[in-house]
Amino acid sequence: MIKITELQKYYRTEEVETIALNKLSIEVKEGEFVAIMGPSGCGKSTLLNILGLLDDPDGGSYLFNNIEVADFNERKRADLRKHNIGFVFQSFNLIDELTVFENVELPLIYTGVPSSERVGRVEKVLDKMQIMHRRNHYPQQLSGGQQQRVAVARAVVNNPKLILADEPTGNLDSSNGNEVMELLTDLNEQGTTIIMVTHSEHDARYSHRIIRLLDGQTVMENIMI
Amino acid sequence: MIKNYIKIAWRNLVSQRLFSFINISGLAVGLAVCMMIMMYVAHEMSYDRFHENADRIFIPQQSFTMNGNTMNMEYMSYAAGEIIKQRQPVVKDYTRTMAYFKPVIASNPEKPDAKFSEKNLLFADGNFFSFFSFKLLSGSAQHVLDRPFTVVLSEDMAKKYFGDENPIGKTIVLKTDSAFTYQVAGVAENNPSNSSIKYSFVTSNQSLLQMKEAKLYTGTKDISFGNFLPYLLLNHASDTATLRRSLDLMAKQDKTFDKVHYSLSALSTTHLKSNFGDSSNLKYLKIFPLVAVLILLLALANYMNLSTARATLRAKEVGVRKVSGASRKTIAAQFYVESALFTTLSFVLGYVLCYAFKPWFLNVLQLKIDSSFLYSPMVLILLAVLFIITILIAGSYPAVILSAFKPVATLKGKMSKATGGVAVRKVFTTLQFALSVGLIICGIVIDRQLYFFRHKDIGINRDNVVMIPVHNTFGNNYNAFKQDVAQLSGIENVATSHHSMFHGYDMVSINGKTKDDITMVASWMGDDQLIKTLGLKWKYAPATGERLAGMDRLVINEAAIAKLHLPVDPVGSYLQSGDQKFKIIGVLKDFNYSSLQSEISPLILFTPPAKFPFFKRDGCNLFAKIKAHTNLPTLLGKIQSLYKKYDADTPFDYTFMDDAFNAQYQAEDRLSSIFSVFTYITIALASLGLFGLAAFTIEQRTKEIGIRKVLGASIGSINSLLSADFLKLVILSIVIASPVAWWAMHNWLQGFAYRINISWWMFAFAGMTAILTAVATVSYHALKAALANPVKSLRSE
Ligand SMILES: Nc1ncnc2c1ncn2[C@@H]1O[C@H](COP(=O)(O)OP(=O)(O)OP(=O)(O)O)[C@@H](O)[C@H]1O
Ligand SMILES: [Mg+2]
Repeated sequence: MIKITELQKYYRTEEVETIALNKLSIEVKEGEFVAIMGPSGCGKSTLLNILGLLDDPDGGSYLFNNIEVADFNERKRADLRKHNIGFVFQSFNLIDELTVFENVELPLIYTGVPSSERVGRVEKVLDKMQIMHRRNHYPQQLSGGQQQRVAVARAVVNNPKLILADEPTGNLDSSNGNEVMELLTDLNEQGTTIIMVTHSEHDARYSHRIIRLLDGQTVMENIMI
Repeated sequence: MIKNYIKIAWRNLVSQRLFSFINISGLAVGLAVCMMIMMYVAHEMSYDRFHENADRIFIPQQSFTMNGNTMNMEYMSYAAGEIIKQRQPVVKDYTRTMAYFKPVIASNPEKPDAKFSEKNLLFADGNFFSFFSFKLLSGSAQHVLDRPFTVVLSEDMAKKYFGDENPIGKTIVLKTDSAFTYQVAGVAENNPSNSSIKYSFVTSNQSLLQMKEAKLYTGTKDISFGNFLPYLLLNHASDTATLRRSLDLMAKQDKTFDKVHYSLSALSTTHLKSNFGDSSNLKYLKIFPLVAVLILLLALANYMNLSTARATLRAKEVGVRKVSGASRKTIAAQFYVESALFTTLSFVLGYVLCYAFKPWFLNVLQLKIDSSFLYSPMVLILLAVLFIITILIAGSYPAVILSAFKPVATLKGKMSKATGGVAVRKVFTTLQFALSVGLIICGIVIDRQLYFFRHKDIGINRDNVVMIPVHNTFGNNYNAFKQDVAQLSGIENVATSHHSMFHGYDMVSINGKTKDDITMVASWMGDDQLIKTLGLKWKYAPATGERLAGMDRLVINEAAIAKLHLPVDPVGSYLQSGDQKFKIIGVLKDFNYSSLQSEISPLILFTPPAKFPFFKRDGCNLFAKIKAHTNLPTLLGKIQSLYKKYDADTPFDYTFMDDAFNAQYQAEDRLSSIFSVFTYITIALASLGLFGLAAFTIEQRTKEIGIRKVLGASIGSINSLLSADFLKLVILSIVIASPVAWWAMHNWLQGFAYRINISWWMFAFAGMTAILTAVATVSYHALKAALANPVKSLRSE
């Protein structure tokens, strides 16, 4: 599903040039659950942003479903993204002015799902995430765990083939964290490919495979059973 | 402490250059407008107050009612002043002036070739310079005018006719009806721009008494209407009520004017009260201060808007300061100091702008303001007050808002939306746009009304008619001149008129059935070619073979039929004025012989024969209708040389009837040009306000925008999402402004007898202008936000 070869990303500031990704090559098959680990600043988020088509690489190739997307323009990337990829962030990134229901509904609006159909689909995922009773609450009125469940609901409402999660449990206590990991595992079992960045060995154990990065390069891959 | 504040303020100013620039210059523009209008209003209010006894000097005004019309007269006979003083003990002193009604020709006998036509010859009593406080540069106030044929020159005139020489004791020739030689007895300062008494030359009334036409000016030996303005100096300013009562009583006793009532107007109010000539100043005086206050408030609102918006970015600084022990008070003080620094810079810039644009402003308003006035203590005090008010207001809101930040929230970077004062900002922006929309609507209505005036068919064919004033100095040569002009190729027709067109008319009294029943009707006098030359249309044409010219006949307009209770077709009826009888030989269709601001009133046109001596004695106007496609400069040159043949002294002058017609709307024209400038400034300020509001709110929504983009929102959808919020405000402002503007313009139009209808497209146009301006302003920020990489905004969380 995903194949990157010799991917490069630099950040230039006035003084220094940081190499965030240094000729990184990775392949992820459809249906896999991959964890990415590594010390702070090694380029995990950068990688995820590129995989999620939020950012473009400075070199190398990125095949998404066998299509070269490294040189896609902003509009094409946005189009591909909204139909295929869901995101879960460490800090949830819910819109404070919108209710739980409206937050989850957003991706459907942007992919042009008619409103009659939207209500049913949003209610279905909210139900699945066990957050239905909070549908009219605003994000600030929810606990961290609940907020992250809403974020996951929003990520999956469009039935994306790929979910990218950047430290999804980073702001949660262990029991809330485990709940989210169970959710992701369930989604994976139903066929969604998941790539997750994490600092926690515990969370990484939910995955099939761990890719370890150091200074923008793969240093080791562990295959879990 | 203060030093530390100023240092931080300065750093902020420099590091946020664009914001600082917009902020300072926006406020500066508002302040400049305010200063300009303040100086103008102060100048108008200061008229005649520089006289030492200004508060005790009054002019009596007589008013009487005749046939339902109230007439006000302030010009009196020569004798009136003295009689009033004799009989009214509260009157301490008086002085009389007569401003000569037309320009005179002046020359220095040593340079007889340098002749100029000069306005403002003033005849005055000998005590003129001690009664008033005009400064004499040479000569003594008591003696300069104590003999006949002495003259006091204004500084400018002294320079013009005598150069650097000392003019005292020299002579100057002033040609009124005939030429007289005057001895220069003094030089006075040029009359201050805020003086309602205007002079270039002041000579004594005694000189006037020696002229052969003196009788014409001095009038009867008792109190009656006349040509003199009597200024009365009272013992106490509070004596006015007593004086008014005893003047009324005096009028009753004398029976000369038993229906007369007196009022007294203070010298300092005469300028604003005077309704002769250009009354536009009063209009400006009502509108401008309002506009000034609104524009200043607008600019201040912007200032507060932008600085609080910008300062919420500094919430963290406030938090840190509070955690390190700053009280709310010290933080408020800090922001006050910052505001003071910004305001001071704005004020200085505003002052510079005001002085840079002052000549333009004065030119449009056709005003003259002495530069000494602009540095007078009064103006300086006003500026200081404006400065202090600006600092107080500009600093208050930011200081209150910003010092209220809660340290814990700000340190966590969780600025809650409420602390930003978004609601207040929205109100400001809405009001600003409402003002802009209102001004645009008013501007359109004023502009359309003026267009309508210029292009309305008034019943007079005024194209290509040149009007040439001819003075009594022509003597018997006028008819020869007229013949000569008529012979020129390029001239279609010539006619004689007593008055030039659109410059007023006479009144004539027409007898009714009883002796007391008298009707005053506008009257005009011209030769038998006048009607044809102006293309006036007959309602009832004279019978065939009936002569138009004759001492015993006249023509009326339609409006006069009803007013004079004449039969439906009055041709052949007679009208009587005094003991003269006139036959009505025709009725003209109504035409607008005066401004379109008023309805057509009844008019009588006398058509004396060409030899009638009145024209010779009083002067008249030659109306020449020019054929189309004639080379005007050449033709006018030829007319001028013919003119010079008969009158070498009086300068040749001419006016096109079109121009005279348009000049009637000068006041409205000026109002319109000033208005459009105010409108541009208001729109600019409102856009600036919106720019600030957009910057601020969009800044606060970057995270939301980032999330929406990650979820697939397109740039277009984000742009419209952000713009829609602001458009709502603009539409609300249109809803607020439209009825108010309609009401204001509806009232304004009531002042004109002929007016346009206010139509929907004016509102639509104004609304669209506001919407487009707003979209353009907001799009800058909205697009910037929409185009930004969402990774960045989410990363900062
Ligand atoms: N916008 C940017 N400008 C400059 N440098 C950046 C930028 N974003 C990331 N970097 C740099 O690129 C490198 C990789 O950053 P990245 O955010 O991918 O790290 P990370 O592995 O996600 O770390 P963490 O575990 O702390 O989230 C770091 O050295 C970082 O400083
Ligand atoms: Mg990271």
